Amino acid sequence: MLALSEIVHSKLKFALIALAIGLVVALTMTLSAMSEGLVTGMTGAKGNLDADALVFQGDTYLNFERSLLTTEDVEQIRSAEGVAQAYGVGHVYISVDAPEESFDTHAFGLTGDFEQLPVVEGVGGMPQDGETIVDETVRSEGVEVGDTVTLTPIGRELTVIAFTESRRYVMAPVFYVNMNTYEDLRAASMFGVMAETSDAELPSATHVTDAVEGNVSVAAVKLDEGTTVEELAAALDDDFDVVTPDEAALAGNGMPVMVLAVNGIQVVSFVIGALVIGVFFYITTLHKTGQIAAIKALGASNAFVYRQLLAQILLLVTAGALLGTGLALGAGASMPPAMAFDPRPDRWSVTLALVYLMAFVGSLFSLRSILKIDPATALDHAEH
Amino acid sequence: MSLLEVSDVSKTYGSGRGVVTALEDVTFSVETGSMLAILGPSGSGKTTLLSIVAGLLQPTSGRIVIDGQPIHLRSQREAALYRRDKIGIVFQDYHLIPYLSAVENLLLMPRLAGRATRAHREKALGLLEEFGIGERAKHAPWELSGGERQRVAIARALMNDPEIMLVDEPTANLDTERGTQVVAMLGEHVRGRDMTCLMVTHDVRMAEGADRVLRLVDGRVV
Repeated sequence: MLALSEIVHSKLKFALIALAIGLVVALTMTLSAMSEGLVTGMTGAKGNLDADALVFQGDTYLNFERSLLTTEDVEQIRSAEGVAQAYGVGHVYISVDAPEESFDTHAFGLTGDFEQLPVVEGVGGMPQDGETIVDETVRSEGVEVGDTVTLTPIGRELTVIAFTESRRYVMAPVFYVNMNTYEDLRAASMFGVMAETSDAELPSATHVTDAVEGNVSVAAVKLDEGTTVEELAAALDDDFDVVTPDEAALAGNGMPVMVLAVNGIQVVSFVIGALVIGVFFYITTLHKTGQIAAIKALGASNAFVYRQLLAQILLLVTAGALLGTGLALGAGASMPPAMAFDPRPDRWSVTLALVYLMAFVGSLFSLRSILKIDPATALDHAEH
Repeated sequence: MSLLEVSDVSKTYGSGRGVVTALEDVTFSVETGSMLAILGPSGSGKTTLLSIVAGLLQPTSGRIVIDGQPIHLRSQREAALYRRDKIGIVFQDYHLIPYLSAVENLLLMPRLAGRATRAHREKALGLLEEFGIGERAKHAPWELSGGERQRVAIARALMNDPEIMLVDEPTANLDTERGTQVVAMLGEHVRGRDMTCLMVTHDVRMAEGADRVLRLVDGRVV
């Protein structure tokens, strides 16, 4: 009651404190979302694959560019003990001649399970030959649903039938195609490269297509209930590396270093924010030394005074948390789609919980001050 | 019957050559339903004595007994409970909580002990009426005059029906007329409620409103 009365009495002061807390929360949440956005932008297409495990070629980095599985490899994986279902995911670089500007990106060929792609515009499902479902960030390149884009230098065309979300790879929007289209693109890419770089007699496109037919980068595996990733790894031989999609997402493409850096940024911003919040409440306690001495002289226990402080902190941090969340969402909404911003409720919940925790830890410094305030000073006025 | 007995109380600060004696062998007692004025110049030890009786300071030596119970050996926590339940303190600077209205300042006392009920609110409003400031009940301290604040402070001290009232320089911030009124009002309540009051003052005219006067000079009773 005292806590609320003081807030109502000194609205401006406490509004400024709540604003400061809100800004700290917004900063922490925005950095968190941008960090997550970077991770999603780098590996969203990898980490969000609908699978319990991803199987890569052994002894390669855990990225799609380096791994190669043959038809036989995929069959071996599919028939391994504990595997309920497995589908291949192929990767090929493509260059897109977009309305705004040409850009390089990645095409993923799926042998099935296109339903896993959340559709934000257009109609999902299995694309026909020459059709594609693309991550929505491709909009920033001027590409819209219904457009047909030309791939250079291979001269293939893809018609965009739908946009999906959170499916970027190495910060570029992924084009999802069926296996026929994937194999065509892959063969055309190889053929095109050979045509540009070699004077040797070129194999026919048909021969190249035959050679790569059925090859994929990784196998996405759904396990039988009760089977673990480790058990699958043990069931397969050393020619394969088996990891979860999340582990794969954080490996390769410089991800370990990047994750370390973004985590460092988040920790630093959080520690500074926590110190700011703690110092605010410490200063407000110091400003009330005389008042607290009087209340203690009247018979208030230290616990009573501390409870009032905690109630005040709870109210202000809650107000700051709501404000900060709103500001962070506003900041995210005002960012261009290509900008990495991926607010994750679980991470933001952790951030909020940590803000409350740090406010509580900060309040312990105030508690120390409260304990040290001598109630006798309430009667003390230059006389002994 | 003596409610408060102070026996050979001394208080020194510092040590060695820097020792300062604030009180030296102070002895007195106060009857229930009476008002004792502690009169002395600045630096005579009045406030130190009041602080010791309030349990805010420990005496260096001596005994303080209230209603047969020694109170000078209590822990900080016990002393706080004792002040909350048995003592009413009126500070020289009032120390009203600036963000609480007059009536809420009175309700602070039951809140320290738990929660304020409707009965407490009625009692608080009644006390403010008795002190002639009923219509100022919802005003904040900064909206009140010095005399009104002093009366709110006294009413707050009475809120928990204390056995002992400790009043520090109640007229220091008031003119003579208002100061005399406040002391008279205080005396009426003390006698009417069978409580004991220690009033510290440096003003001889105000001390005349008490039943007895204890003169302190350089920490000694004279």
